[in-house]
Amino acid sequence: MPNDSKRINGPDATVPYSIYTNLNSESSELLIKNQLQFRVDKRKHNEFRKMFIRIGVVSQAKGSAYVEMGQTRVICSVFDPREIPNKAQYSTQGELFCEFKFAPFASCKRKGHQQDAEEKEYSLIMQRALEPAVCRHEFPNFQVDIYALVLDNDGSALSTAIMAASLALANASVPMFGIVTAVTVVIYDDLFIIDPTYKEEALCLKTIKKLKPVNHGIIMQAMLSQHDQISEFFLTGSMDINFVNSSIDILSKTSNEIYPVLQEALRKSILKMIKKKNQQEK
Amino acid sequence: MDGDLICIPGQRLCISDKVNVPGQGTYEKLGYIYAKFAGVVKVLKHDDTCSISVHGMIDQSIVPAPGDIVTAMVTIVNQRFCKCTIKCIGDIVLSRPYRGILRKEEVKAVGKDATEMYKSFRPGDIILARVLPMTEAHTYQLSTAENELGVVIAHSEEGIAMVPVSWTEMQCPKTLIKELRKVAKIVPEEVALLDSA
Amino acid sequence: MAEIPLSLAEKTFILHGIDADFRNDGRSRTHYRCMELETKLMDQVHGSARLRIGNTDVLVGVKVEIDTPYPDSPGDGKLEFFVDCSANATPSFEGRGGENLANEISNVLALAYQSPDAMDLTQLSILPHKKCWKLFVDILILECGGNLFDAVAIAVKAALYSTEIPKVKCATLDGGEADIALSDDTYESVKLDTTNFPILVSLYKIGDSCVVDPTSEEEMCSSASIVISVMPNGRISSIVKMGYGSVHPTTLSKTLDMGTKVGIELNNEIISALKREDELGLNREIIGFLR
Repeated sequence: MPNDSKRINGPDATVPYSIYTNLNSESSELLIKNQLQFRVDKRKHNEFRKMFIRIGVVSQAKGSAYVEMGQTRVICSVFDPREIPNKAQYSTQGELFCEFKFAPFASCKRKGHQQDAEEKEYSLIMQRALEPAVCRHEFPNFQVDIYALVLDNDGSALSTAIMAASLALANASVPMFGIVTAVTVVIYDDLFIIDPTYKEEALCLKTIKKLKPVNHGIIMQAMLSQHDQISEFFLTGSMDINFVNSSIDILSKTSNEIYPVLQEALRKSILKMIKKKNQQEK
Repeated sequence: MDGDLICIPGQRLCISDKVNVPGQGTYEKLGYIYAKFAGVVKVLKHDDTCSISVHGMIDQSIVPAPGDIVTAMVTIVNQRFCKCTIKCIGDIVLSRPYRGILRKEEVKAVGKDATEMYKSFRPGDIILARVLPMTEAHTYQLSTAENELGVVIAHSEEGIAMVPVSWTEMQCPKTLIKELRKVAKIVPEEVALLDSA
Repeated sequence: MAEIPLSLAEKTFILHGIDADFRNDGRSRTHYRCMELETKLMDQVHGSARLRIGNTDVLVGVKVEIDTPYPDSPGDGKLEFFVDCSANATPSFEGRGGENLANEISNVLALAYQSPDAMDLTQLSILPHKKCWKLFVDILILECGGNLFDAVAIAVKAALYSTEIPKVKCATLDGGEADIALSDDTYESVKLDTTNFPILVSLYKIGDSCVVDPTSEEEMCSSASIVISVMPNGRISSIVKMGYGSVHPTTLSKTLDMGTKVGIELNNEIISALKREDELGLNREIIGFLR
């Protein structure tokens, strides 16, 4: 989206009404843990949501992918390499440019049209997660543009966007070392909850002041499952180092479980394209 | 085709040894060959080796490389150089235009000092040129210092496509006015194509 | 970041040194360079600190102002980080050149201080829903000689440690409007509770091992680094990966363990250094920056 600084974004003094509901005030430790113990969608703690993947959805883009992770929906498109703007030196490695954006209506609170600090941060995380997977030496002096738009945010939006981007890159025939899988986990006390929903994410970052610190936080890990390499690791919250280490194992295991799903989706898209090619030849 | 071998990026294809060598669209890591693209695996058998290659479903985006013959449109002409946008490489149309620059010294092979840019090109001309090795990050250096390179399509002030009459002149078929150009000597079948267009 | 051209031979030399746990300047992999740290060196701000480590020079000023709290966290104050990569440091920071790096640093800092375990924002509240303190932490990078993240985080912690917030004598609601009176005595002030403030430890993966506090040359040899924010009690408040490379899960685990260990030690050292400076009293000589 073009950066239009003159655009009037409407009054910025509005707040979502939900902060005045009682739901927000129940912040005792026991209640939070109770809500996290039994997930609304009856999933187990180590179970990720059902995924829906469609590859090649945007006809104008070189490559694109649409990924649903439960209610979280992300669309991502990849365009042809272009010259790196505002750069004088010759760079031997091509660059990736990622733009991560929430649709204005995607989250509980309305988002503006311009990227805010969180979205800019996520764009950088996406870039770092994908860079190790792309053969950047094959397009020196050029950059590949990747645009991810979150249509609906029900948690784990960043990891879903990274997976969508990696599928879109593969669809665009950008040379890659491997497919990137990304998983989010939230931690509360001694619970590890894979693929959290929006509410579960919010609960784990809730500000409670207690005498004894409780482990809480979100970890996002992007991985090249085929080569067993972590391409990005992002943690916020507050926890013990042992928790971090055990969550690396859990996240890697889940990544390996998700990888066949992406593989199958890509396989189907290739078969479809071969079929189409054959029909055209006839 | 049911017999096609399908692969996705990062998929391990086979062991890399004296018999199996990595080809186009693959890479080698720790003794194995992996795929770079989502597409079809092809095995090319030579005398005693097999070249493993992977072909993507969409053509990989191509960018001009030194030595390529490109088709470009002239946008700006001044005394020292002209700027153009590169539209095609060989017979492949680019999805994105790239910027190119053609310096006075690179217009003709002989009589470099006598060359005048205004007598060689006008904005809007379609030219054939060769890409020179890159020196600047952003613009491709072009050269037309060959008989087969230079202006292919040019329009007169009337807006009518002109016909080449010599290697330095083109003539408007309507007004019969001659204009100066660095004309490309085009191989016959392409001339036929242009006439019918 | 400022790029230093290094030849392959130079890179190999650095790499072999790190493999042997003996770096070019004689340090081991987990050793920091000598640091110079000074607080309260500026008059116009409520807290300030200057840190020099190797050739990296960072100046931090904390200003305190009154603001209205966010509607979704009415009982909290506000804390914001601004990083300015001055063009003095390297010409590549000129114009918008340093913007990306500056954003990156301020984001990582904001993440590190986000958890209520690390920084309790309720201590900045004056009147819930109405008024709160807002801390502006402005970070100026004067010279850039590698390991910016760690340097900035230590300087920020020291500046916040020295920050004195004016004492509020009374804060009442007067017909729905906030009425605040500050103490008449300008020396009467409140200090922040800095017991759990984190610092950042960046570990650069060079070859098969990780190093802390790299010089600019060593930074050029690294494809990936992990920035961990460690609180004095050993807890982790954020982890971010930097650079274009990737790491193996077991390497990551090992790196994190090493980072935590280093982080706890460094935290202790810094706190004791700050206490020693405090003991010098108000009449100590101020060294100032860039000397």
